[in-house]
Amino acid sequence: MIMNFNTAALLAIACWTIGALLSLFARRTPSLKIPAFVISFSGALVMAAFIAFYWSLLDRPPLRTLGETRLWYAALIPLVGFLVEYRWKIEWLKFYCMGLATFFLVINMLHPEVFDKTLMPALQSPWFIPHVIVYLVGYVLLAASSVTALHNVYMQVRHKGNDAGEAVSHYLALLGFVLLSFGLIFGALWAKEAWGHYWTWDPKETWAFLSWLAYLGYLHAFRYKIDSSKLQWYLALAFVVLLVCWFGVNYLPSAQNSVHTYTQS
Amino acid sequence: MAVVRRRWFQTPWEFKESVLFTAAAVVAGFLIELATSGSGLALPRLPVNAIALSLFATLVLSIGLGFRNTPVVEWFGGIPLGLSLIFAIALLSLIGGIVPQGAVSSGSLAAQSGINHIFSSWPFALTIILFLANLGLSLSWKLVPFKMKNIQFILFHAGFWIALSCGIFGSSDLQRLIVPIEEGKASNLGYTMESDTPQHLPFSVFLHDFSLEEYPPQLLLYDPHSDKLLMNKSQAIIEVRKGATASWMGLEVLVLDYIPFALPGQKGIPQPADRSTGIPYAKIRISAGSVQRETWISTGSPVLKPDAAALGNLFLILVPGTPKSFRSAVTVQDNQSHEVMANLEVNKPVTFMDWKLYQMGYDEKAGRWSKLSLVEVIRDPWLPAVYLGFFMIMAGNILFFWNGIKRTESAS
Repeated sequence: MIMNFNTAALLAIACWTIGALLSLFARRTPSLKIPAFVISFSGALVMAAFIAFYWSLLDRPPLRTLGETRLWYAALIPLVGFLVEYRWKIEWLKFYCMGLATFFLVINMLHPEVFDKTLMPALQSPWFIPHVIVYLVGYVLLAASSVTALHNVYMQVRHKGNDAGEAVSHYLALLGFVLLSFGLIFGALWAKEAWGHYWTWDPKETWAFLSWLAYLGYLHAFRYKIDSSKLQWYLALAFVVLLVCWFGVNYLPSAQNSVHTYTQS
Repeated sequence: MAVVRRRWFQTPWEFKESVLFTAAAVVAGFLIELATSGSGLALPRLPVNAIALSLFATLVLSIGLGFRNTPVVEWFGGIPLGLSLIFAIALLSLIGGIVPQGAVSSGSLAAQSGINHIFSSWPFALTIILFLANLGLSLSWKLVPFKMKNIQFILFHAGFWIALSCGIFGSSDLQRLIVPIEEGKASNLGYTMESDTPQHLPFSVFLHDFSLEEYPPQLLLYDPHSDKLLMNKSQAIIEVRKGATASWMGLEVLVLDYIPFALPGQKGIPQPADRSTGIPYAKIRISAGSVQRETWISTGSPVLKPDAAALGNLFLILVPGTPKSFRSAVTVQDNQSHEVMANLEVNKPVTFMDWKLYQMGYDEKAGRWSKLSLVEVIRDPWLPAVYLGFFMIMAGNILFFWNGIKRTESAS
């Protein structure tokens, strides 16, 4: 990742900061609402444009390293915030989302990665893009669900009613679960073509299965009408399992021979 | 949530009983594992496993339909037990996700208790059997009487039941063998990872040619004292091509010429050569301050020494690129004169009878010059059933997604 990245990242962060400030002012001056949205949204557009540019520069999809996947998160997470605001008229989520996206970009700025165009043969597959993108979007939705759940817990502590917030965290978890299922099965179908078997209990597979089970458990607890306010804790913490699955796996003793450890350059 | 305090084992049973029951099953599993010194569970092969699975499915379905109003059966197919079992499977998988699997020697506690082969251990097997029973019971109640509005539930749960049960019961029938073949020779001997004794395959594989394509070589600065490669200013892997540049502290390098396949010529000037013998050469201009010099460097090969450029204590070296693709041109035939000619490549396996052949590896020391190809041959008679389960899960998920959207629309 070279000079262009810092420029793009700073530009995106500036958009999100100005956009966030403007939407705070828009509470008093409603005419600022549209410029606030346009500027915040431009931040995601800047990242999307950078991804497209980086893709053409690399001659391969920028989905191989952890740093590359963080670019996608930074572009996609704010979009979830905007969608939730549009769909459920819930404003606060987008602030968390833009904050999270900024956090990802800062990590990338602090740890520049080696620019490497190569793609090992096993990754040269039509499954590469659908498998990774479905997972990316799934993680993004579940991250947003977890953030929403945390906010809901905070509201509970302050004894404020918040039924809409609980509906949002549930719906995002549901969508995320659907995408995790697809990611898992796409991965299995790809593994059969590339490595000969659809399931080998590779540490990453095991952790992906675990995260899937965590949300499967959530959906059944919800279905059983367990108190939704208690389940907010569950949703907030379920994301920890996802985090281990996403990059913690690389540091576990079981992962020495995993095919999934992202290249650490 | 029940507000009235319910005593233990007072019907209807709920979470307390479920957790106790699940924990008992897991503990019993670990005790069996310890008692058998961690031998794990050996599943029977076809047709015994298929018969056992059909009997199990029939038993679960008939209990579900015959005793659907019996409290114990209702509890056995209910969400509290299902959730407890999901968490038990998650917990056992967590062990499998942290403890390296198959790594420790057989005498250790990890091996005796089964945690180094958790996915073929007794506690895992017992939990999965109970989970399949739980899932099967709940499924039987949605299947009969059949209603269209249950289709999403049925697709997801039946798909999961089929994929899980066939994946696990069928794992004993999975055959994975590695066939090493040298160019110009045929082999019908396959090796497993565990044993040195080869198994005879019902077919033979003849290797016409193994070929490997590399990414362009890389230009690197090597420090022999620290045995480290020094990263250049742009933090990029420098792929060599004509006109490429690189810079390190006080050092500028320009690639003047690049020949992908060449052999040493007169006066140190390499001559283009055939792809099968030639090695990459690059002519570079090194500028350090006001001093400039031009030289040829090369990657070397098993028979040719590499040429590096010495810069004081450092060396500018050319390193072969990483493999971009590799393939084996093979002919597969059995003794009933079935014959297939094919190119095996990573991600592009080839089917022969009920086997699949995969390009697995090669002699990595020889790299591009490898005359050896490792082909993996795999037979999995249960695969269609598992895939049927996968597709049912995906179909169920699409409906879940769709209904989820509709529900929130009607709610708002």
